[in-house]
Amino acid sequence: MKLTRREFSAGLAAGLAAPALLRSAHAQGATIKIGMCAPVTGPAAESGGYAIKGAKLALEAVNKAGGILGKQGELIVEDDQTTNPGIVLAFSKLASQSDIVGFLGSIRSTQVHAMAPDVLKLGKPVMIGGTDPNLTHMGNKWLFRFRPNDSYSGRVIAEYGVSTLGKKKWAVLHSTDAFGTAGGKALTEALQKLGAPPVLDQGYANQSQDFTPVVLAIKQSGADILGSYFTFENDLGIFARQLRQLGVNIPWVGSPSIVNITALKLAGPALYNTYGVADYAEDSSDASKAFGKIYRDATKVAPDNQSAWTYDAVTVLAAAINKAGSTEPEKIRDAILAIKKFPGAEGEYNFDQNGDGLHGYNIVKNDKGKIVFDKHIESND
Amino acid sequence: MSASDNIQVPVPAVRSKPLIIRHLPYFIGAAVLVALAGSMGFDGYVLNILLQATTFSIAVFGLSVVLGLCGQINLAQATFFGFGAYAVGLGTADLHLSFWPCLVGGCMIALIAGAFLGMSTLRLGGHYLAMVTISFQQIVTLVMINAIWLTHGPDGVSNITRPELFQSSQSYLAFCVAVLAIVGYLVWHLPDTKLGRSMRAVRDNELAAGVNGIDVFRTKIYAFGICALLGGLAGGLFAGGFAYVSPDQFSFAESIGFLTMSLLGGVASPVGSVIGTGLLILIPEWLRFLKSVPGLYLAIYGLFVILIIRFMPDGIWGFVSDAFTRWRAHTKAPPVAAALQLKPATSGGDIVLKVTGLTKHFGGLKAVDGVDIAVKRGGVHALIGPNGSGKTTTLNVLSGLYKATAGKIVLDGTDITNMAPHQRTAAGLGRTFQNIRLFRSMTALENVEIGAERPGNTMIGKGEDALTERAMEALTFVGLGNRANELISSFSYGHQRLIEIARALAANPTLLLLDEPAAGLNSTEKLELHELLKRIAAQGLTILIIDHDMTLVSEAAQHITVLNFGRRIADGESMAVLRHPDVVSAYLGSE
Amino acid sequence: MDLVLQLLFTGIGIGAVYALVALGFVLIFRATNVVNFAQGEFSMVAAYLMVVFSVDLGWPYWLSFLIALAGMALLGVIFNLGVYYPLRHRTYLPVIIATIGASILLSNSVLAIYGPQPQVLQGWFDTPGIQLGPVYLDSQYLLIIAVTILLVLFNFWFFEKTLLGKKLQATSQDKEMASLLGISVSTMIMITFIYSAVLGGLAGILVAPVLFVSIQMGSTIALKAFAATIIGGFGDVTGAIIGGLALGVIETFGAAYISVPYKDGFAFLVLIAFLIFRPQGIFGERVAEKA
Repeated sequence: MKLTRREFSAGLAAGLAAPALLRSAHAQGATIKIGMCAPVTGPAAESGGYAIKGAKLALEAVNKAGGILGKQGELIVEDDQTTNPGIVLAFSKLASQSDIVGFLGSIRSTQVHAMAPDVLKLGKPVMIGGTDPNLTHMGNKWLFRFRPNDSYSGRVIAEYGVSTLGKKKWAVLHSTDAFGTAGGKALTEALQKLGAPPVLDQGYANQSQDFTPVVLAIKQSGADILGSYFTFENDLGIFARQLRQLGVNIPWVGSPSIVNITALKLAGPALYNTYGVADYAEDSSDASKAFGKIYRDATKVAPDNQSAWTYDAVTVLAAAINKAGSTEPEKIRDAILAIKKFPGAEGEYNFDQNGDGLHGYNIVKNDKGKIVFDKHIESND
Repeated sequence: MSASDNIQVPVPAVRSKPLIIRHLPYFIGAAVLVALAGSMGFDGYVLNILLQATTFSIAVFGLSVVLGLCGQINLAQATFFGFGAYAVGLGTADLHLSFWPCLVGGCMIALIAGAFLGMSTLRLGGHYLAMVTISFQQIVTLVMINAIWLTHGPDGVSNITRPELFQSSQSYLAFCVAVLAIVGYLVWHLPDTKLGRSMRAVRDNELAAGVNGIDVFRTKIYAFGICALLGGLAGGLFAGGFAYVSPDQFSFAESIGFLTMSLLGGVASPVGSVIGTGLLILIPEWLRFLKSVPGLYLAIYGLFVILIIRFMPDGIWGFVSDAFTRWRAHTKAPPVAAALQLKPATSGGDIVLKVTGLTKHFGGLKAVDGVDIAVKRGGVHALIGPNGSGKTTTLNVLSGLYKATAGKIVLDGTDITNMAPHQRTAAGLGRTFQNIRLFRSMTALENVEIGAERPGNTMIGKGEDALTERAMEALTFVGLGNRANELISSFSYGHQRLIEIARALAANPTLLLLDEPAAGLNSTEKLELHELLKRIAAQGLTILIIDHDMTLVSEAAQHITVLNFGRRIADGESMAVLRHPDVVSAYLGSE
Repeated sequence: MDLVLQLLFTGIGIGAVYALVALGFVLIFRATNVVNFAQGEFSMVAAYLMVVFSVDLGWPYWLSFLIALAGMALLGVIFNLGVYYPLRHRTYLPVIIATIGASILLSNSVLAIYGPQPQVLQGWFDTPGIQLGPVYLDSQYLLIIAVTILLVLFNFWFFEKTLLGKKLQATSQDKEMASLLGISVSTMIMITFIYSAVLGGLAGILVAPVLFVSIQMGSTIALKAFAATIIGGFGDVTGAIIGGLALGVIETFGAAYISVPYKDGFAFLVLIAFLIFRPQGIFGERVAEKA
């Protein structure tokens, strides 16, 4: 009885979702499917392209090495439009294909928040790149994070600036979106713990056309070091240029966006000699170098964290399924959580019970436009 | 500039069987839909799409009221949607209140915000209103993002709960569909209520609406308030459905989305709202296969918006229902009416209208300069003068469209000098316009009904039927009773003038102002008009007429006031005035 | 004091950007009574054209500049014929929606063709700026301010002194009267669209070196420019310039002395305050509709 009703509704739903249904019917059973929500359109469309590339490269490698449970892996991408309603729809569309065994969520924390209730309902593992610490601490056991969360980036920035660079008068600058607010908070807290509370804590709204008031505030605060969380590269580029033009040359340690290739291209010399925390640093390990080579060969573009985390997510997910010997969600989950000392492009994965795979950051330096690995700082808690 | 070309025409409802019985099919249909929504085993994707479409549709209903019915633009609907959503979100997740009070609270907040915004800006129209709503939208978005202590900032609010009764997504969808059906029913029938008619009148012609006793400003606020209220309701339901809200869901882009949905489906009807919303949620979903090239499907979407606006001006539903109406084109014969009774109020003395020292300056130009007029009860009084003599300005000051610079106007013992147009109408003033100002999207009967609805009209009983009866009497009085259910556009110019007079008469005014009623009429029509004026005067209604047509004036009026260059140059009994040398030279020019 | 001067310069610079875009709004509004929501996309398209010719193809800067402006003129023609002209007898609402559709179409077409990466466009000058005492003057902003001043003068000369300008004026004030005088209204409107597309494009090319070239560069500026238009007065060219400059300065000082995150809100707050408390003060007396 239940079956016929479902068939009936599926027939009706076919009118609504015909293309998707046709596609999934035709490929039934031949492959192991991994779903991916990525921003193909919208403001983050650029990084979305990198993310998809990274995931595809990983899947190619997995397939070459024998696939997943003996079958070829297949990536199904849905556009999340860089919006929250967009990702909810994209995810529910993927979730309705029952043969998808695992998913890649977003690198944007608010989007992960938006899709989280549906993830919990579906009960299948979702790999995420959003770095808001709360995501893995809100009782959703199906989220697995492939980047170190912001409590680590804040700690690492503070640690590096205070201990290595020896600076105590901090200006903290962050965007007022979810990512920037959480990061700024983490950095401020870490600085307070180190006995160096910031002299200026300044938020800014995304897509600002001008940063003169911010730069002047930094100048006036007497800060001798700057810590920053920028979301969009064009904001970072405008700020960096104005900072230099108005004669501020204090050391600057920034969140990962400061070493991302678009930012380097836009800001040019204005970012020379800055430091960044990077979850992906090409020279930080052999696995990172290996990924860098594959990615460069395939795309002719320098690799960054946008592609590295999806590369790791697909690799780890495939390894976990193979180890579990099953596509049953609970078993995959156990297998992921059991992963220790797994060498990934982003670093060494040691999953804890919250689903956080990474617990440290690399510090890199912008040496005349070239990103140079400086050191890795791991937190042990 | 009226918004009427974007509006489809509602066919007047037949008032024979009780409402409930006539609309039974609607409720049965709605019940079936609710049952279907509650029982079919949709998967998560379809469920999310349907839930989104249902809640968005309710918000778009709001736009069909403010934009479709009342002709005002609102580019901040996502804000009101956000008020409802955040009220439910913060209320259930942070304060652990039950869903219902939060939903009601959200609606109230949206309503108050909408009414407040309306009050502060609806006196300006069009583009200014567009800009203010955009500004409001931007500021609220900034607050949602930055007031972290209240809204959780950009993280948004998660763990929003639903009412106990509708815990499963399926039952919640059924609940939302039920709300959609009820709201849809109300919005569908709003145009036939007094408020709805006022809104349509405001949309069609603000000036005419004002002088027919409609408080234009208040009507706009009501429309805006209803729109905001529905936005809040929809937002509350949306928050319950998706269990998570964040500021980017209520951004300017979303407001534009709502507006496009409304126009795509057809702005004048709730059916259109549902179609437009459904399509705009589904189209991007259908076009997802174009995703291999980033931006391509949104580009196609943009192109379609342009094409639809161009080729389906009334939206998809307007297009369909137009074809349908044409296919079964017929007009219902109106009921037969009794003779029209005019009983002008007689609270003042012998003089119905006393104007003293009336002055109107435009910058340095003295359009009217210290004019005195005394109109005696029960007669026809004419105000004449050559072009540019200040006649029409005087009339506009009398009816309140212009504010007098100085002077005093007393109507039947009441000082109306500082009243708004609709208040003067309530005080007993009726008028017609030189260039006809009818509500063009309505039938003749509906036009006249709006006149009959004048506050303080003692000649109508209670209820819709009495209103229709009065309007029919007035139409029959001017000889157009048998064409009552036809649209304004199907009448000749002369007949439109008669409808305008009927609209004024239905209100049972104390004084009727006629602004060049003979302009543009042929000689037969002029004769008919003359006859009509006699019949009106015979019932004791006082008329103040402005016209060029000397034959009409000299035959109809007992008393004439002549203006030239904004000043009164003659006043008195008709024949005497017309022979006055100043008058003759004013008209013929002194050689 | 140094601080104030620096803020003032930046405010005027960014304000000049708003003013340039606002100018395009006003011209179209006066001629057609319609607000063009795709005005910001004009700027974006022009900046991308510059990137195509000057960066990708490596053609000389001045040549690319001329080609880009010619491209904008063409876009103005297409925009008029495709979006405005078919709807010219309708009310302002359908036209507004059509321009919104055009804005979505334009920005996403560029995204489809050129991809989502923001691009770098070099400025006109090799030196990034001059240090004048305590104040740093960005050379590109100096250029923008200079161009704005020149445009004000040009517009004054064009609309007040040339026959074509007077014809355009007449058309925007009273179409019926203009056509009675033998002016071809549709030609005048075509010219207006071309001129305003070129102006929008000019603004885009000028700000590209400062704000970079991205898909959303136009829409963010356009919204502010729109606000500037209202503050300065719809339907007045000088008003748009003053409104734009005022907005830039208010924003910059508001950010410096009140709040950075709420920076974008000041413009709109000022606007609402103006509209509520002194609408006639900025627009002049609204003439009542002739009854």
